[in-house]
This record gives sequence, C-alpha cells and structure tokens, in this order.
Amino acid sequence: MPQNRRAFLKTTAASSLAVCLTGCSLLPRKATGQPEHYAGAIGLPDGRFGVSAFNRSGDILWQAPVESRCHSGCNRPDHSELLIFERRPGWSFYVFDASTGDRKHHVKAEPGEHFVGHGVFSPDGRWLYVTASRYEPGEGIVAVYDAHRNYQRADTFDLAGVGPHELTLHPDGETLVIGLGGILTHPDYDRLKLNLDTMQPALLLMNRRSGDIVGRFQPDHHQQSARHVNVGGNGRVYVAYQYQGPRYETPPLLARLEDGKLREYRFDQDTQKALANYIASVVAHPENDLVAAASPVGGTIVVFRGSTGELVSRASIPDCAGVQALTGGDFLVSSGRGRLVQVGAGKPAREIATLPVYWDHHLV
Amino acid sequence: MQPITRFLCISTLAATSSLTLASTADTEARQQWHEAIAGGYQALTVETRELSDAARNYCQAPTEKSRTLVESAWLDAFVAWQRVRFVDFGPIETDNLAWQFQFWPDPKNLVARKAGYLLDNDSTITPSVIRESGVAVQGFPMMEYLLFDQEMNTGNNSLPAPHTCELLTNVALHAATNSQTLTDQWSAFKAHYIENELYRDTTIRAGMAALEILEERRLARPMGLSGNGKRNPYITDAWRSGKSLATVEATVIGLQQLYLPGLTLLLESKEETGLANRIRNQFAEVQDNFPGARMPMTAALEADDQYRTLQGLYVDISQLTSLVNDEAAVAIGVVRGFNSSDGD
Repeated sequence: MPQNRRAFLKTTAASSLAVCLTGCSLLPRKATGQPEHYAGAIGLPDGRFGVSAFNRSGDILWQAPVESRCHSGCNRPDHSELLIFERRPGWSFYVFDASTGDRKHHVKAEPGEHFVGHGVFSPDGRWLYVTASRYEPGEGIVAVYDAHRNYQRADTFDLAGVGPHELTLHPDGETLVIGLGGILTHPDYDRLKLNLDTMQPALLLMNRRSGDIVGRFQPDHHQQSARHVNVGGNGRVYVAYQYQGPRYETPPLLARLEDGKLREYRFDQDTQKALANYIASVVAHPENDLVAAASPVGGTIVVFRGSTGELVSRASIPDCAGVQALTGGDFLVSSGRGRLVQVGAGKPAREIATLPVYWDHHLV
Repeated sequence: MQPITRFLCISTLAATSSLTLASTADTEARQQWHEAIAGGYQALTVETRELSDAARNYCQAPTEKSRTLVESAWLDAFVAWQRVRFVDFGPIETDNLAWQFQFWPDPKNLVARKAGYLLDNDSTITPSVIRESGVAVQGFPMMEYLLFDQEMNTGNNSLPAPHTCELLTNVALHAATNSQTLTDQWSAFKAHYIENELYRDTTIRAGMAALEILEERRLARPMGLSGNGKRNPYITDAWRSGKSLATVEATVIGLQQLYLPGLTLLLESKEETGLANRIRNQFAEVQDNFPGARMPMTAALEADDQYRTLQGLYVDISQLTSLVNDEAAVAIGVVRGFNSSDGD
C-alpha cells in the first residue's frame, strides 16, 4: 500500500467508526441499480481530500486519498470500477477498484484541456464521455475515452459553446444529455467568470456515437447557467440552473424538456429565496414522478412532482449537495457537514448518519 | 401541511421569543456594517481619485517629487482597498469589480505579460482600451507593476515614457471610476441589505473568508508553512512594492474598524461578551506586531530575526482566525459551507 494511502487511512480510521445508521434498518438500495454501495468525493477537516465509499449498513468500505479536490464520478457498468473526476479546473480523473478503493488508473487531461468534474459511461462500459474545456479558445468539448484500452483518448466532440458541466446518458442508450453552463473561465484567472453579460447557456442533446448535437435548448434568461442535468426513468430530461444575476432576483432554477422547450418550474417566493439562485444537484426518481434538487448555498433540499411542479417537501439541510434516488421512492441527500439524510414525499426528513468528513457535491 | 413543514413550524414557535431579540440585534448589526463599509468605500473613492490626479500630474510634469507623490498615492489607495477587501458580496460582485481592483493571485505573471502587450503595441491606450483589456490590466497590481517593478523601471518603457503614462493614468482613472460606482451602488443597496436577514451570515462569512485567506494564502504559503513547503515572497500581494505586510496590516485594520463592531454587537446580544472581548484583544495583539512587521516579504523571509517577527504575526493572526472562524461563528450559528462556497 502506498505510504500516503496508509497514512490517510490511519488518520481517517477513527472517523470511520463514527458512522452509524440511526435506527436499525439498512439504507435502501440505489434506485438506479448496482453497485450496492455509495461513494463520493470528500474533504477532511485537516484540509486533505479523498474519496469515500460506504455500504447500506452505513459502514465505511474504504477511503482513498487524492491529490486535489474532486467533484463527482460515475460507476463503470458491469465492472467494479468507480471513476472520480477532479473539481474544475480538473487536471485528471481517477479510476478506483470500487470494492477496495485501490487506485487502478490516474488519467491526466490532454494539454490545453481541463475536465470540469463529471463523466458518464456508455451502457456497455467501454466508452467514457467526459465534459471538458479547451481553455485557451474557451471551447466546451466532450472527451471520449476507451476503457478497454486503459482509458486512452478515443475521440473529441465539440459542443459549440462554453462551460459544459454535468452530462448523463438518456435511457435510450444513445443520447448524451449535457448541461452547458455558458460561463467562460480560464485556469489563469482562478474561477473568475469572464462573460456574464454574454453567456449562452443551454441544455444539449448529443448523439454519443457521432457527436452530433441533436438538440440545443436555451433557458429563458441568458444568466440561468444550466449546470446539472438528470433523466427520469420515463425519459424526462431535467436541468438545474445557477442564476448569475443579482441575488434579489429569484428566477426559476429548474426546468424539464417538454415539446422541444424548457418548461421552467417556479415555486413560492419563500422557497425560491431559500434556494438562493443555486442548485448543485437534480435527480429525477426512476420509480415515480418525484424530482429532488439540492441547494448548498441556501441549505435547502426540495422535492417536487415533475408532471405538475407541485412542491411536496422542503427541508433545511445546511450545505446539502449530493442526491441519490433510493428504491422505494425516496432520496438520499449528503451534505458538506457529513450528514446523510433520507427525504421523500409526505414524511419528515430522516437523519441516516453523520461522518466527520465533508461530502463533496455529488453522491455516486 | 406536509410533515416536514409541520415539524419546522413547531420548532419555529418554540423559538419565537428569542428570535425577536436576535432579529433586533441582527438588524442593528447590518445597520452598523452598512454604515462602516460605506465609510470604507468612500475612503477608497477619495484615495483612488487622488491617485488618478497624482498619476496625471506626474505624467504631465515628471519630477522626483511628483513621482514620490504618485507612489505614495498608490499605496494610500491600495491600503484603502485592503481595508474593504473583505466585502465579497453586494455591488462588489457586479462585473467582477473585486478582481478589477486587484487581480490576485497571478501565478502566470499575467500583469507583466499584459503590460508588455499593451506597451509594445503602438495604439493609443484609452479608457475604452482599459475597459476591454480584462482584470489583469484594470487595477492596483498593474499600477504597482508600472511604478515599482525593477525590470520595468530599467527598460525602454519605464515611466514617464508617454505610452506607459497613458497606461498608468487610464488604469488609475478606471480604478477611481469603479470606486465611485461602488460607493454609489453600496448606498443604493442599503435598504435591501438591511431588510434581508440572509446578509447577516453573508457578512460574517465574508470576514471569515478574509481571515482564512490572510492566514493561509497571504502568510502561510509565502512563509513555506503550507503548499509546497518552500518560502516564496512572490506569491503574496504587493511584493513588487515591498508592501505585502503593510497590506496585511491594512486588511486587519479594515476588519477591526468595519467588521468587528457588528460582530461583537451580535456576540454581546447572545451574552458572549467574554468572547467579544477576547476577539477585540486579539485584534490588538495582531496590531502590536506593527510597525515592526511592516517590512518587505522578501526581507522577512531571508533574515532569521525578521522571520521570527513574521512568525509572531502569523501566530497572532492564526489565533484571531480561530477565535472568529471557530468560536464566534459557532456562537452565532454561522457555518462556512464546503459546498456552498464552491461554485459548481
């Protein structure tokens, strides 16, 4: 075992013991299927970063160190591999053995490119699609890697836009759904937003084989940065915005693709304010009509009906960000304060566990 | 009513009476902060206007005296900026104004590269050229480069070369215009700020972030206490003028004058007078390091006795950061989020 990994595990072993399910029941399985365990990028109180996986009993399976802060990840279908992507500007992604946490690959970005924190696999687990930016010209791309060939770069698809962020695969197995935030950044300028007046955010649909963009849908306002996307089991496409205008404005932050347009959801004013113009995750439940969206800035999670936009639950969870759909119809929410909370329709939020780690944005 | 909402309502009722008291103190704190920050922005406006005038005077009649005046006007204006630099919300967020005032960090030395590009190009440098040139051109680091950089000052383009004067005077004018805009917008922001309770935590977090940046990025990293472990004076701000630590002092004074009164008002409303006093005392402890610590970072990192002075300052600032970011934040119930401050 490498020395840094041993040291990392040693100092986090005590914290691992702190995880405990409240009550006796197991956490439900992920509604999206295998694997049974959950994982996410983490920060530690001493300033280091890692990746952590826990099982349905709330036991930590493993924790592995990484060189810099990560953001999100994906599981490789039919393989026990977990991929975790560095936070924007991400200079690499990691491939872990999902059972042990052993690092199998550490793939660096191509010169002139950086990743932005998200990726997704083809259904057969061979092709990995990663959102990225060619930062000198400011061009958003999808970088394609071949997992059969040790994650060698296989292709590049242009997005004709800047600032791609999350992407996911439509249940049709062919269409990539991509959030194009529209915000121009450059690693020389930290995370400074360079084009707030001229942003052109969009929800993009792309054929994953040809790279052809088969749909481009723009929010009502050019500063509704379309960062996060998700698709329900019924194929409904959802997109979540981070509004770049002034805080006193409270435009819609969530939308669904309907009849070739983005139908935007607006909640009551109090809820809109509580979301603080910022959604970090959106997840449409594969088993029902519910959609969950988390705002760490507002410390608020909302659950609403996708078909009607009716708000069915709202809870205050400071620094909440990660969301996973659970079998049975609920959602699991993680927070930067180490909490795991189960939320759903018609029931109070239920604290599942707390760990002395900072869960980073997305639960995988 | 949904169960979650019902639960929240019960909790809310139980806490109503204490909330009323807290809410009064919160509003008072926001009034306090608004007025104090308005004063800070006003001072920045005055100082940047004087800097703009001094730059113009120097370029019209370059003498040793007018050069000294523009250099000291730059420092006065930069100090005024350091005092309000902690404010990271409100009008300063518009058009990346904070970055326009101070492009930092600059690991690729973009300031020098951008200056070289503009100065090697024969086109006239006008206010609109500055507006179009991006944040590395538009603020204090660019003016500092033109006035203090050793290589710049010995090269063909050194001041008062006319083209370099065009750049200096237009950047100074840009900063003065931005300062006036900021002052006006902060004034217009008053009602919204005071009415909106979310700004209590936003303001407290702004000070916490400033202290964290001060401790970690402006002291620990250049001192080699974190990061790659190597001492490096060039990653802190204002290294070209040798004023890195003078600007640290200015940031601390700004926090003490503009931020601390609202913070202690809140602490005292929560019967945390002891903690409020400890924070006041710690600000004084930090200031006791000056003027001894008011030296160039390069000197502080090279000589053992001066490094010890710097270490003393660092320890005092670390303790101040801990008091505010850990103890005061917990007492008031403010947490800086891991995700909420991320921006993705």
